[in-house]
Amino acid sequence: MFFLRYFLLRAFKNMRGNLLPNLTTVGIITLSMLIFSTFSLIAFNLSSFLKIWEDKIQIVAYLKKNMSTRDVNDLLRTTRLLQGVDSVKYVSSDEAFAFMEAKLGNQKNLLEGIQPSVLPASFEIQLTKEFRNSTRIKEVVSQLKQFPQMEEIQYGREWVETFSSIVHILRVTQWILGGLLLAAMTFIIANTLQLTIANRREEIEIMHLVGASPAFIQVPFYLEGIIQGLLGAGLAMLALFFLYRIFFLQIAPPVKEWLVGIPIFFLPPKTIASFLSGGMVLGFFGSFVASLRILKYSG
Amino acid sequence: MAHVSKTFPNRISALSDVSLEVLPGDFVYIAGSSGSGKTTLLRILFCAERPTHGEVTVNGFPITQKGFNKVHQLRRTMGIVFQDAKLLQDRTASDNVAFALEATGQFQREVKRKVSEILTQVGLQERREEPILALSAGEQQRVAIARALVNDPPLLLVDEPTGNLDAQMTTDVMRIFSKLHQKGTTVVFATQNMDLIRRYPYRTIQVTGGKRVDGETALNTKAEA
Repeated sequence: MFFLRYFLLRAFKNMRGNLLPNLTTVGIITLSMLIFSTFSLIAFNLSSFLKIWEDKIQIVAYLKKNMSTRDVNDLLRTTRLLQGVDSVKYVSSDEAFAFMEAKLGNQKNLLEGIQPSVLPASFEIQLTKEFRNSTRIKEVVSQLKQFPQMEEIQYGREWVETFSSIVHILRVTQWILGGLLLAAMTFIIANTLQLTIANRREEIEIMHLVGASPAFIQVPFYLEGIIQGLLGAGLAMLALFFLYRIFFLQIAPPVKEWLVGIPIFFLPPKTIASFLSGGMVLGFFGSFVASLRILKYSG
Repeated sequence: MAHVSKTFPNRISALSDVSLEVLPGDFVYIAGSSGSGKTTLLRILFCAERPTHGEVTVNGFPITQKGFNKVHQLRRTMGIVFQDAKLLQDRTASDNVAFALEATGQFQREVKRKVSEILTQVGLQERREEPILALSAGEQQRVAIARALVNDPPLLLVDEPTGNLDAQMTTDVMRIFSKLHQKGTTVVFATQNMDLIRRYPYRTIQVTGGKRVDGETALNTKAEA
């Protein structure tokens, strides 16, 4: 406990002694972390949206006309037994026509003179959870295609695939950007700490002479890096939350109608904790790189 | 130290086949002119330099053994004093001495007691709270000696500690070293001041051009007697 207090005091003293480089480092970490976490926030929300959409995903299989009730029932039973199928609802031509009328509302007169039998009967197929994604849905579709009684099968394939690709690209961009920012941040932390180390060269030299252990010499510098990383990450999270609130209060209302049904979340606590600990790890790594030179124990 | 040679990367040979044995309680001068290799010899003893050839054991530590990584433990068994005192200029005399104890992880209460004792021993108790810059060169050197001694090391390595001091200050500092020697501390003292060696005669190792040239000469007969 005594040593932790001593090390922390020395770390804060070092930081105070090199205030400007330290503030610059914290500022750059904040900015880099903010860019990275913004991408994370967007990717997180798109993923959440994709998940909500995937939960609602279903296949509509249109049946050939003039199928007997017995054939429909047989096909219904067989379809329900397919792998990946959770439930199947039969929608007759009449039900489809009624649904269309309801959808058109005041404009239902457009349907005047059209017979319900024009619309094909269909199966609305709900999938089990593990099949509600763009890859596995195809397995169910290929099984359905084996049935000649089904004329057309729809499941919004392109939409699902495009959206999945966007999320994937965003995730890849996020990690590439993250990697570049990580390298930049390590470099900056390492350079600031080298300045601190250079300023305290005399003190370090005396510590070496009197036999201070390598850990005793290095720990305050590691702590300094960790504090810088934590401060930078913490400020980035605060800034991101601030921007998120501004988005909600200022930007969201005009496009609220467009956003109906699309919830926008802030990063979950687990991710925030990961960012904060990531900042500390980064700070530690930067200070480790910087102190490689003082690791060498010589006069 | 057996058959020690040191050649720097720029091919300058600082030491060549030097052998030396210092027994516990000895007071030994390493004498030689500037550039003779005495400082390199001293630096090898506290592991600031590694010899190119030869074997060295200091206070039981085989410092030339491959993979030796206990430098900080070795240095806790010795005190080191330089010509330039190497003190922290922005701190007081007692802070500088306390720093050596804190850096080796000693508790505050113990630090205070030991600092007070050692500063009394070197005659600086009255000036303990003075900043380093307010002290004379001799007083600064005494602070450096106090720092080197505060951990009560059995071995003291000193490199021209009187080089910047006037006659009176030199006498004061030499009295401290003599007292330490009488108490049993081993002292290895590098100097080019032959007058000092004549006034305070002890065993002398003469180094010239990186080689031992003394053969335990007449200068040390008095010390040996």
